Amino acid sequence: MEKSKLGRIILVGAAILMLLTTYLAVIYVPLPQTSVKSADKILSSVEGSRIRVAGFVSEVYAKDTNIITGSYLFRFSIADFSDYQRYIAAAAGDQLDSQWWTVRPIDVVLRNPPGTFLLSVGGTWDSAGTGTNLSVLAVVVGSGIGPNSNITGFHLRTYSQEDITVGASPGQFGIMTAPVAQKIFYFHMPSAWVSYLAFFVTLVASALYLRTRDIKYDRWAFSSAELGVLFSTIAITTGPVWAKQEWGVYWRWDDTKLVTTFVLWLVYIGYLMLRASMTDTGTRARVGAVYGILGFVTVPMSLLSSRVAPLLQSSHPQVIASSSGSLSPEAGMTIGIAIIAFTLLFITMLIRRVEIAESEEELEELKRTIGGED
Amino acid sequence: MEGSFGALYIAYSIVWLGVFAYLAYMYLRQHSIDKDIRSLKEEVAKHVK
Repeated sequence: MEKSKLGRIILVGAAILMLLTTYLAVIYVPLPQTSVKSADKILSSVEGSRIRVAGFVSEVYAKDTNIITGSYLFRFSIADFSDYQRYIAAAAGDQLDSQWWTVRPIDVVLRNPPGTFLLSVGGTWDSAGTGTNLSVLAVVVGSGIGPNSNITGFHLRTYSQEDITVGASPGQFGIMTAPVAQKIFYFHMPSAWVSYLAFFVTLVASALYLRTRDIKYDRWAFSSAELGVLFSTIAITTGPVWAKQEWGVYWRWDDTKLVTTFVLWLVYIGYLMLRASMTDTGTRARVGAVYGILGFVTVPMSLLSSRVAPLLQSSHPQVIASSSGSLSPEAGMTIGIAIIAFTLLFITMLIRRVEIAESEEELEELKRTIGGED
Repeated sequence: MEGSFGALYIAYSIVWLGVFAYLAYMYLRQHSIDKDIRSLKEEVAKHVK
């Protein structure tokens, strides 16, 4: 009785925290800035990674004599630029009241390394005096981007050789075409985190079952796996909603993070189906425990796949535990609350699910005792 | 931007509906099991008498 009362209190607490997360994510956290990194810094961290939306901010210091008229040239080198007509390239600067300097159809020139196109956009600015810092933003965005489009880098050139700045940036470094959709992250990431936690509980409980043959561990393993499937389903369905906005496609089969997470989800669906197909309690528990241990190999595969992105080609953003990712204090607080909310929710749901599993076994036992088994 | 808000609503709905649907499933499952256990126990009690 006391335990269920405590469970209800935790559940209410988790629900309140989830509501708070919703409020913070929608109202409190400011929209992501278009860029947070300097161009040089970004260049070193992006080489070799595949990106969909790219841009950079570059500080151009006019240290020569008065620059009455400057010029700029952005060059985006893009592999498999088959859908180029949907791209636009634009530039903005703070010397012209943050107005867009130019938005023009791109000029595609085939003179880059084999298999790549070079996109160039040029223009001029004025009223930049000696010692002026020009903040230049260059962005290339695309809707309905082909699956093999790959922006490999770009640079900015100003009229003076001494003012040359080179930079490159992928979307995950702060340049986003759908900043509102980015708020999906506050629920998507905690869901994924809780699913990994749930499958870890399944691993531990399965190992304990094999060691002790105590059926209570089997209940924990199964209940946790079921919840893991619930939360990974949430993660795997909210992710594509964001991807459609940011990448232009719902899913990419060439992205290791997405594919390994999908495999993880299938493996644990298989776990639940396998168990459902068995009637003998002992066999079900034994086979389930072995499967629960072996299946866990998909968790580090999914978890680590985006961390080795340059090697395995993943565009999936990595924000936590990444030196290149960055969160504002507001975003950090919101994601922290969301993680606590989802973890509490998982704990209370797990305890409740285990109690139901106990009741299910009691019912089965009762049926066996009175010979009324179906 | 409007499309982004639509995506946000869809994603948040998936999360909330998913969690509530599972909570409802657990409640209904427990309710059904309790009912079955109660009726079986009554059945047993009848036969014992």
